[in-house]
Amino acid sequence: MILTPVKRNLMDKPYRIGVDIGGTFTDIVMLDTRSGRLYNEKVLTTPDDPSAGVLTGVASILKANDATAHAVNQIIHGTTLVANAIIERRGAKVALVTTKGFRDILEIGTEGRYDSYDLFIDMPEPLVPRRWRFDVPERLSPEGHVLTPLDENAVVAVAKEIAKSDVTAVAISLLHSFQNPSHEQRVLEIFQQEAPGLAVCISSDVMPEIGEYERASTTVCNAYVLALFKSYLERLTAGLRDSGFEKDLFLMLSDGGTVHEETAAAYPIRLVQSGPAGGVQATSVIGALAGESNIFCFDMGGTTAKASLIENGEPMRSTEFEVARVYRAKKGSGLPLRVPVIEMIEIGAGGGSIATINKLGLVQVGPESSSAYPGPACYAQGGTDATVTDADLILGYLGADSFLGGDMSLDVDAATKALELNIAEPLGISAVDAAWAIHETVNESMAQAASIHALEKAQRISDYAMIPIGGAGPVHACNIGLKLSVPRVICPSSAGVASALGFLVSPLAFTFVQGGLVSLDAADFESIRTMLSRMEEKGKELLSSAGTAQDDFKVELLVSMRYLGQGYNVEAPVGSEILAADDRTSVRGVFEKAYMFQYGRIEPDVPVEIVSWRVVVSGPAPVIDLSGARPTASDSEARKGEREVYFGPAKGFVKTPIFDRYCLTPGESFGGPSIFEERESTTVVPPGANSKIDDALNLVVELPHD
Amino acid sequence: MNSVKFSALKVGLTWQRLDSLMDETAYTFVRTSFSSVVRDNWDLAVSLMDSRGRQFAQSSRSVPSFIGTMPSTLAVMLQRYPTSELKSGDILISNDGYHGTGHLNDITMARPIFKDGQVIAFIGSVFHSVDIGGAPSVNARDSYEEGLTIPVAKIVREDVENEDVIAFLTENLRAPEETLGDIRAQFAAYDMAIPRLLKILEDEQIEDLDEMVDEILNRSEKAMRQAIEAVENGSYYGEIQLDGFDEPLKICCEVSISGSELTIDYTGTSPQIDKPINSVMNYTRAYSAYAIKSAFDASTPNNDGSFRPITIKAPEGCLVNPKRPAPIWARHLTGHYLPPVIFSALANIMPEQVIADCGSPIWNVYFAGKQPDGQRFMKMFFMNGGHGARPHQDGPACLSFPSNITTLPIEQFENSVPLLVTEKSLIPDSGGAGQYRGGPAQRVSFKATADNPVTMTIRHERVIFPPRGLLGGKAGAAGTDYLNGDRIPAKVRLDIQRDDVVTFDTPGGGGFGPPVDRDADKIRSDVESGLVTAASAKRDYDFDAGEAKSDG
Repeated sequence: MILTPVKRNLMDKPYRIGVDIGGTFTDIVMLDTRSGRLYNEKVLTTPDDPSAGVLTGVASILKANDATAHAVNQIIHGTTLVANAIIERRGAKVALVTTKGFRDILEIGTEGRYDSYDLFIDMPEPLVPRRWRFDVPERLSPEGHVLTPLDENAVVAVAKEIAKSDVTAVAISLLHSFQNPSHEQRVLEIFQQEAPGLAVCISSDVMPEIGEYERASTTVCNAYVLALFKSYLERLTAGLRDSGFEKDLFLMLSDGGTVHEETAAAYPIRLVQSGPAGGVQATSVIGALAGESNIFCFDMGGTTAKASLIENGEPMRSTEFEVARVYRAKKGSGLPLRVPVIEMIEIGAGGGSIATINKLGLVQVGPESSSAYPGPACYAQGGTDATVTDADLILGYLGADSFLGGDMSLDVDAATKALELNIAEPLGISAVDAAWAIHETVNESMAQAASIHALEKAQRISDYAMIPIGGAGPVHACNIGLKLSVPRVICPSSAGVASALGFLVSPLAFTFVQGGLVSLDAADFESIRTMLSRMEEKGKELLSSAGTAQDDFKVELLVSMRYLGQGYNVEAPVGSEILAADDRTSVRGVFEKAYMFQYGRIEPDVPVEIVSWRVVVSGPAPVIDLSGARPTASDSEARKGEREVYFGPAKGFVKTPIFDRYCLTPGESFGGPSIFEERESTTVVPPGANSKIDDALNLVVELPHD
Repeated sequence: MNSVKFSALKVGLTWQRLDSLMDETAYTFVRTSFSSVVRDNWDLAVSLMDSRGRQFAQSSRSVPSFIGTMPSTLAVMLQRYPTSELKSGDILISNDGYHGTGHLNDITMARPIFKDGQVIAFIGSVFHSVDIGGAPSVNARDSYEEGLTIPVAKIVREDVENEDVIAFLTENLRAPEETLGDIRAQFAAYDMAIPRLLKILEDEQIEDLDEMVDEILNRSEKAMRQAIEAVENGSYYGEIQLDGFDEPLKICCEVSISGSELTIDYTGTSPQIDKPINSVMNYTRAYSAYAIKSAFDASTPNNDGSFRPITIKAPEGCLVNPKRPAPIWARHLTGHYLPPVIFSALANIMPEQVIADCGSPIWNVYFAGKQPDGQRFMKMFFMNGGHGARPHQDGPACLSFPSNITTLPIEQFENSVPLLVTEKSLIPDSGGAGQYRGGPAQRVSFKATADNPVTMTIRHERVIFPPRGLLGGKAGAAGTDYLNGDRIPAKVRLDIQRDDVVTFDTPGGGGFGPPVDRDADKIRSDVESGLVTAASAKRDYDFDAGEAKSDG
């Protein structure tokens, strides 16, 4: 892919690099800002020290282009390190300090079952065992007034006990501290005196929002990964410096903003969904270049799929997240976090999901999934379960000899046998019908989940263009798109490195959230303005120190509100002029406009309350433009051959041409059915759907709808 | 399979879409609701019934009280307003406890769904209204004292709200805005759901919905029958003691399995009493069905078909099948005992599929009074006990069973009432000893902070008879209620003054299997965490904690 040059390039340091560490591969994308050309590199992830893989990859992509690290202006990095450390429980030994009487909030949680009928469910084990949860006398009122002063002697005693132990990190989360951080700040000072060397996080700094359980959980998770992440960053930056890189490292946050390494090191929990956020940011840009601003991003991998919506070019965001779910992707079975994230739903099904006949005599796909080894039956590594990938092979979507660019051949006989044994024979149907049932069932799950997600956001999914990424995404996208009445599916040529590409196109940005429950009528706008401007200043400071010019800052104010008595909030942007004028009617107006849009009715007689404020301070988004793109491959014959591909009982098997994705040039168009193969994935275009290569080398599929 | 009309693939896809539509509808309701009992406790259910009133899809996250109740309520509604008298845009309402879910606080509504001028289905929902007027109390002697009974009525006629019904509600309820806000939130949810149901039928080319419903129900029935057939034929007996009021009460339960049929017979259970804990037959059926579903066939979706092989019998006039107008407000104090009594009957024959007693019936406390500014308030706070131990796992701490009701964030609660929560922590030694230990219970303390007195109402069980262990496991700790450190009755209404502290120790879960079989590492870890004291470790497990630190 080639990009046209950005405006402000630095001739002596023309390169920008995005690095994404995934489970198997570390992806590197390098942009030459002079030519606009993009280069990709994939190296194996090095789990013991992921920085090693990054350094190898960066060195390798530079070498391949006869460049040196001196010529790199910026490296932006995203990683699953934080999420994985929590999932694999590899973080620090953490202690928790709470208000007297509340040491067990972390373990008691919400008291709810994530599955009502399963008698044998387990809840996630708290990251801090009970032995290391302490409570100290102090108490604030719901408004933040001191009811019981902090017992400093008690804090000193706790600090001394912790200092003697092998605990290395401390989370401090006191009741109502989001309204008044003074007690938490004092506890922090005492720990710095009495137990220097410990990593200490306070909840009013990490995430000042209402909800003692979620706030404590977020603070604990931050403390849990703090040291691990910091030492990783130190190794990485040292390595980069040694290689000659002279600039600062930036990191991708879960909400799609990028921040300087120092900020990331203080709030590593904000990176919990760093990689997937990059993927969504990339689809946002890919969509924009294809003329679409409302995008349904669909990322389907081996065991799970993720879906998210981009509206008017902006990914939808939230501050609710759950990490390390103990029961597959089941909501409620993980550790709750309050961090700004790009909102995504996770579906517990992917290419490796296993199909079975359930108790109802129906085909069920997942939640069990074949691991990488032995994997689907067609991998011929001894697997006997029928998986989604086996079904895709039997239906002709995947080529037996072209998987992973031909590096791995797939065993049709093994797949057929698995389908017959597990699905076809019990149901008395053919292997092909069984494969179709698996394909349809998993696609229906995806379509349902996406549709529910859109409805939760008060959107109609049929108004969106779909952009599939991830290995299995393009195989299933058109079928899912048909179910959802999506008009267009845009398959980018860079799907395999989408996250790393996303890092390059994201602006520097930091989000602050501050809770402060108060009725709109009683809100003290003067102190709110002071609070918001403090947040704004802090954001500007972070950005200035990262080198953004003052006049390039963009500041957004958003307020979460609800009707008095409700518990779910609606967020609406609010202009600073409205706040400056104490204009309560207009504040209510922006809320009701958003509420009406989402739920179709308003309650004119019910008072409104303010729940929290969000301030987003961002720099300019890097501008890239793919209009000058040229094919990268030779003029060799794009059409590789044809094979029989199954498109449902009405059409049956249809002779379908197979194209080499790398040989396609802008403007070429194709009738459906057709199949486009590339190394990391295969795009399946059904009969009746026309497709065309656009100037950015995207394969744009127009789906037929009656 | 059962039918040649639809392929397994088509049934699977349609079913999946219908279930997901119900979850979506419930979600829409919850997001726009005004009460924390709907929002935080999900004390609601949404379901679809076909033209014959058979329930074929229900929202998956619902309290068990609502399993299978809507078809019975709808049948009564249709006696009053036959289908032929229903028009598009009508919504029926009733909260008759004897026809609904067992108490007046649960309001059921149903709306016919028309296609080509014919009623093809009903969408229905039921939710809990914290206040329903009247003076519900532990002393209510009949259901008339317990509040307003809304007879079957049309609350909406052809899309226009019926002002008379609204006025009755407004004049009889203490917090009409909240209840009406929730009712209207359901109207919006129906509006969202109906076109989507019609779209599903169109997409899947289903001409006759009833035929698809046959298929769905038959498959659910078959799955349940297979699960029952796997258990040896015979009759299995269990009984359980309730604290009751003036004297203990007893629930007797005989579970008979014969081929693929299962019968539960509550003959021998104490007679109904003139205190508000009688469990009407619909409620008894719901909790019995829940217990059987979780033990036999937990993973399949919930509909009428699963319950066809199950028969529930109870003599009329007993605690679990009372006659009108026995008081019924706090019927969960009886109904929540049904899963444990059924499990104890089945424990010997299917020990791998059941759990020891949990610290339930769920504990809660009502606070009512005036805010410092004179505004009236009424607030309920739920507190779960420890979970019963399982055949291969300890019981989790304070995990809700059987009602699946979550707690309220303290920071939210304190914002709405003149009370402070001064403690919410696990109680050492409260989980029953066993090879697998019962879940620890919690202590929750509240302190009054305003000059106005606050009226506190509690009705707690498991204070005399603690949650039992199973197959050699020991009982969990009994619950206890305190006012300023002194014990108070478990079923009481009293005024608390500024700076008074009420404390509730919920009951702990029962243990599973003999304590002597417990793994030493698990005991050591419990002592280290402080959840088991060194003294109890010695007494229950003959374990010498030695150096292990106990700081409970």
